Amino acid sequence: MSNHFAKPEWNIHNVSSCTGNHTLHAVGVGRAMKKYKHEGVVFSSQGESSVSEGYVYEAINGATNEQLPVVFVFQDNGYGISVPKKDQTANRKVADNFRGMKYLKIIHCNGKDVFDSMNAVLEAKEYAMANSTPVIVQANCVRMGSHSNSDRHELYRDNAELNYVQEYDPLAKYRRMLVRYKRFTEEELQAIDAEVKLEVKKAHKAGLTAPDPDPASIYDFVLPEAYVSEKYPEGTHSFTGNEKKLIEGLNETLKAEFRHNPDTYIWGQDIANKDKGGIFNVSKGMQQEFGKERVFNAPIAEDYIMGTANGMSRFNDKIRIVVEGAEFADYFWPAMEQFVETTHDFWRSKGQYAPNITVRLASGGYIGGGLYHSQNIEGALTTFPGVRIVYPSYADDAAGLLRTSMRSKGMTVFMEPKALYNDPKAATPVPEDFEVPFGKARVRRAGSDLTIVTYGNTTHMCVEVADKLAEESGKQVEVIDLRSLIPLDKETVLKSVAKTNKVLVVHEDKVFSGFGAEISAMITEEDIRKVRCTSKTCGINIYSCRI
Amino acid sequence: MKKIGLFYSFNTIKTAKNAEKIKNAFGDAVDIDKVNVEEIDEETFLSYDNMVLGVPTWFDGELPNYWDEFMPAIEDLKLKGKTVALFGLGDQVGYPENFVDAIGILAKALEERGAKVIGLTSTEGFTFERSAALRDGKFLGLALDIENQAALSNDRIKNWVEQLKGEFN
Ligand SMILES: Cc1cc2nc3c(=O)[nH]c(=O)nc-3n(C[C@H](O)[C@H](O)[C@H](O)COP(=O)(O)O)c2cc1C
Ligand SMILES: Cc1ncc(C[n+]2csc(CCOP(=O)(O)OP(=O)(O)O)c2C)c(N)n1
Repeated sequence: MSNHFAKPEWNIHNVSSCTGNHTLHAVGVGRAMKKYKHEGVVFSSQGESSVSEGYVYEAINGATNEQLPVVFVFQDNGYGISVPKKDQTANRKVADNFRGMKYLKIIHCNGKDVFDSMNAVLEAKEYAMANSTPVIVQANCVRMGSHSNSDRHELYRDNAELNYVQEYDPLAKYRRMLVRYKRFTEEELQAIDAEVKLEVKKAHKAGLTAPDPDPASIYDFVLPEAYVSEKYPEGTHSFTGNEKKLIEGLNETLKAEFRHNPDTYIWGQDIANKDKGGIFNVSKGMQQEFGKERVFNAPIAEDYIMGTANGMSRFNDKIRIVVEGAEFADYFWPAMEQFVETTHDFWRSKGQYAPNITVRLASGGYIGGGLYHSQNIEGALTTFPGVRIVYPSYADDAAGLLRTSMRSKGMTVFMEPKALYNDPKAATPVPEDFEVPFGKARVRRAGSDLTIVTYGNTTHMCVEVADKLAEESGKQVEVIDLRSLIPLDKETVLKSVAKTNKVLVVHEDKVFSGFGAEISAMITEEDIRKVRCTSKTCGINIYSCRI
Repeated sequence: MKKIGLFYSFNTIKTAKNAEKIKNAFGDAVDIDKVNVEEIDEETFLSYDNMVLGVPTWFDGELPNYWDEFMPAIEDLKLKGKTVALFGLGDQVGYPENFVDAIGILAKALEERGAKVIGLTSTEGFTFERSAALRDGKFLGLALDIENQAALSNDRIKNWVEQLKGEFN
């Protein structure tokens, strides 16, 4: 995991193993620097081959468009593992691919020469800071060894090449230059060598003799702490004011939180332009009230939306970011690599960095949309440790969960059943300061003959069916609205199952490996009487479990 | 004609071979010292008024180390009165974006210190995209591409040396 080394207190951030995806984080930090008028510059460094990744192009496009002080260093050693750079891109120097981009300065240097590299990077830093624009430094390097322990470069490099790369050892050249130009004597250099070797030897020994970590500690730092609601510990209320639509609950809570915390930001596609406020107008009026610095459009680049949120959140831990991760949850797939990355960050940094981000996604069917306007993606997203996922079905829960998400540390995916935005069924009175803690399901209808576990759009269908059943047969069905998928309120579900002995799981997600299957499995596993589950599907997805 | 210092790296094979050909083309009548660039200092460099320098291009448009490491010294030299001709090996097919760049890098550095660069040649017969060795459509020295046009090298050297005989003092 050598590439994960980091020192947050020196602003050296932990980067992923996903080659080059930290370019998006660098742009996010650059955005924060600009917004907070911080005098600084962001450095991002990678090999020439990983510049082929699409997100690197998104990052550099965004940095030029937003005019951010980010220096992208490409260390060109000619190879991506065994692949020669000619198989990556047509230009010999990949920096040349970016020549047409406005506000971008490109500096070339000899990465095998310490002095030339130093001068180039210094020039880049000064230029980026003075102009608040990005710079690419293309450093011409050399790879003397194999890519890694598992690579054998003699399989694809001939002897002549293996020879000349040794001759171009940058450290040897540095030494020769220091001596030739009388900056150091050979004896002084040897003394430094000896001192450093000793230090490394000591560190190596300390590493080898350190005890292995406790296996139980793998569960440490999965999720940062959530906001704790003192007033609404169960996430319920008895407020009886005017009913508000789900979309109003969201819009008003966003605005209230933006008033409450000046370090809040929201961006996404269509998020703000005159009277438009998000693809479904959830953020309507926000740019007018909070200005373009805090409420702004993003390019059609979902990975950029997600990755720069991760980056901007690194600037300080007061910042709370809301993104419309995609116009429809269906279009979140291009952002998946940054989503996955963001689920890891808290764990990978041993709790030193929490990405404080709420990812809003308009989700689900019932608006008469096609394949890419109706998807449910929670079944896929819930497989990742390191994220909370909530899915309200009523206006009050939507407001309360959004407030909790925006006050918590860590990432929350906030699924919005878009068919319910304006549906009177989902309208409820909403206390102005409502809060719903994570992991608290809500019994929407009490009963003792059957438990239905559901969330989102299908909650309403289940309540309607339960009412009808009561009317027709006198049987009382208990409807549990999960509200949070992660963390999951197992206790409420199991308690109800113990009472009714029959469970129906209803959800809108995929039939195969949808989220309902997980609930069904959880009941089978955790109910001490070992219930047997069978599953049934009918348009919506139904799993029924029998004792 | 004053004595010529023929500077190149003795550790090379290809550049050394072509340096030898250049020396032979001058013939015995011209006094030429072969000097190993890997070992030069400022004093040796300044001891010649007429110089022929062998400078192949490496690593997408760079000087080889032995010249690059001498560059900080060149930056402090006074080269007024020196006449310099450069030849450089390159590969126009493999590196069309940086063909014989090193000739240009070194020539310009020497000119900045007051040297006179002679032996400019035509780009005719070469196909490439860019070169830092160009001035007004000519190479700032002799370009040799033994990777792709080995058969043309002997004539190119012969013609160049004839040209130099007229241009050196
Ligand atoms: C790694 C490498 C990079 C090179 N880069 C260039 C270049 O940018 N431009 C060019 O014209 N030739 C380039 N060449 C071709 C060399 O200049 C050519 O092979 C020459 O004959 C080498 O001469 P030498 O072995 O005497 O130094 C490169 C060769 C290698 C091996
Ligand atoms: C997204 C992704 N794809 C593939 C890999 C496997 N991989 C690790 S390093 C590497 C090569 C990177 O080459 P380059 O960017 O030139 O950097 P270098 O290692 O040469 O410094 C690859 C393909 C990875 N880590 N991440």
